[in-house]
Amino acid sequence: MLSQETYMRNKKQIFEAINKASPTVNANAETREEEALALLDMSEYARPKLLAEDPTEAMCLRIQAGLVIGTSCERISKLTQLPDVAAKFLKEHHLPPKLKLQNIVELQSLDWQTLKTDIDVREDKSVGLCLAEYGIAETGSFVVHSSPEMPILLNFLPLYLIAVVPKSRVLHYLDDYALIANEIAKQNKTPRNMCIISGVSGTTDIEGVLVQGAHGPKLLHIIIVEDQ
Amino acid sequence: MQATKPEHFNANVKKALSQPDLKRIIRRTTDKADSKRAQAIAEFPEFEQARIQGQKIKDHTIAHMAHYLETFEKNALAQGSIVHWASTGEEASQIVMDICRQYKAKKVTRSKSMLGEEIGLTHALDNSEIERIETDLAEHIIQLAGDPPSHIVWPAMHRSREDVIRLFRESHKQPTLSEEIVDLVDSARRDLRTKFLTADIGISGSNFLLADSGSTCTVTNEGNAELTTTPPKVHIVTAGIEKLVPSMAHAMPLLRLLTRSATGAEITQYITFHNGPKRTNDADGPEECHIVLVDNGRTKMLADDMKEMLRCIRCGACMNHCVVYKHIGGHAYGSVYPGPMGSVLTPHLNSLEVANKQTHACTLNGRCEEVCPVNIPLPKLLRSLRAQSWQKRYEPLTNRLFVKIFVQLATRPKLFQFVSTCSVLLMKALSRNSWIRFLPLASGWTKNRDLPAPSSQTFMQQYKQTKKSKEERQ
Repeated sequence: MLSQETYMRNKKQIFEAINKASPTVNANAETREEEALALLDMSEYARPKLLAEDPTEAMCLRIQAGLVIGTSCERISKLTQLPDVAAKFLKEHHLPPKLKLQNIVELQSLDWQTLKTDIDVREDKSVGLCLAEYGIAETGSFVVHSSPEMPILLNFLPLYLIAVVPKSRVLHYLDDYALIANEIAKQNKTPRNMCIISGVSGTTDIEGVLVQGAHGPKLLHIIIVEDQ
Repeated sequence: MQATKPEHFNANVKKALSQPDLKRIIRRTTDKADSKRAQAIAEFPEFEQARIQGQKIKDHTIAHMAHYLETFEKNALAQGSIVHWASTGEEASQIVMDICRQYKAKKVTRSKSMLGEEIGLTHALDNSEIERIETDLAEHIIQLAGDPPSHIVWPAMHRSREDVIRLFRESHKQPTLSEEIVDLVDSARRDLRTKFLTADIGISGSNFLLADSGSTCTVTNEGNAELTTTPPKVHIVTAGIEKLVPSMAHAMPLLRLLTRSATGAEITQYITFHNGPKRTNDADGPEECHIVLVDNGRTKMLADDMKEMLRCIRCGACMNHCVVYKHIGGHAYGSVYPGPMGSVLTPHLNSLEVANKQTHACTLNGRCEEVCPVNIPLPKLLRSLRAQSWQKRYEPLTNRLFVKIFVQLATRPKLFQFVSTCSVLLMKALSRNSWIRFLPLASGWTKNRDLPAPSSQTFMQQYKQTKKSKEERQ
């Protein structure tokens, strides 16, 4: 192992080199912070227009226009409709009536009837179903945070993924999510992983041909719940 | 395929140009990237504003580099990460290898990171008892082939489907018999899956370092980064210190630029921010997270007035649009970083003495600067490296001699005109049917193409003649 001494030496060396090369003349903290904030104000004129004013509408339009790889979406009015909609998705894709349901009370407490909800996601061709933290209209993304109830791998191992996004949590822009992440950080509650997922696992590494399902999902279905 | 060296640039180029299929293979990828990028920019009229913003964000961070680095370390430590500092590539690689040995790792998964290649980590792992598993599909292909990467976004673009079929059949446990690309990808999926889940350590790079939270960030389309960093007990991140930005909000505008410039996509499928090891009771995640911050020439770029290059977000657009890259491909450059950005970076990561020829492999047509998402003046930087190379006497003797003779001529108008007249006569004498097939002292030009014969008069002769006839008419 490199010793503490080497660590200090390297760190000192790097900082000395930086300070020698570009001594920050106005290292005034206030000016620096103001400058950093002003950079963010530019975003308003430097990001794409949304397809609709309402973020949920914009997100759905983006997905329906085929702009989010391998992704489809639908809207339901109540969370209680979820089991039926999930069963329909499995049927449409000729999949057996089983999936891995995220271990979270909002989903577990629903009536899943005959659907098996606790399969091993490492199985071939498995289906995962999770509750996202946020949706982002700009990119048609959903966001998940790691937690005791959210294994990150649930979003990466299945071949089919269903993500439930509460309507109230659909944000306009990536920048809006960054502000929320900042708030979470202030409360010292930053999760280990924050994943912004926009479509399915894809590759163009062999002769530039797009293939879905490189390592993770090949199909993603986003369900937006209106009353949540 | 043996790794090429930057000092053998001329020989590498000769070899590349003699490969009959290479140009077609390169253009299959670069032309597609080129047109997809153009389409993405056309659909994003705010692009100009966005790249001014991107440039300013990077410049602000570079101007306050020491502050943001310090803040990053403080916050990364608070998240529970262990931070290491490496002045050189060897040191960085050594730190990673030491961590691997400390945990007695047998199997290590790696998600694509050009910095990993830069610091020689792939090589160090291959020379150890530890099994290296590349998880990005392109890196998986070139690992099987034993090739260095030929592009920073599509490292395996030089390999054809036929190559992949052969490589997968030779090495996958249950290879597919199909020759369809979709089945080949499936074969890799099967082969890599168990490896993801049984690795001892996962190594990734980081596209951004967020100072205010101590987060690192991976950006992929395959989702292999999360599969690399989540299951093993230890996650190691290697990142260049230029990846810093003040906060996540500052990374978002750069992400908009990065994905559009790299692949023409509005966003990549997976963007993940990593904040240290797993929290108590977390369902999954590594128990320990190490971040190795690497200088390796970056502070030298700051000192050498090359700080604009530190803006680079590694999108690869400059190489997709480079006429030289499109002819010779990535391997000829003999560096992890090819194309225009590589020709500026390699002299700093390696030395200008070994990589000065690359700075001349540029027509200065300005396409790279035009497409750069953070406005890096690549032609200007290349010219300044050429000047340095001249001052340090790295240029070949013939070039130096030629320039010295030219200086003598150019400062003596009469002599200059006399020599031009002679050379016009000589070229005329050497031409057949208005083409010159051989020219003394210029065999470098005439070896691969014929030169059109010049006009029978020098410029000055023509100028005088026109002036005279004009005066007569008046």
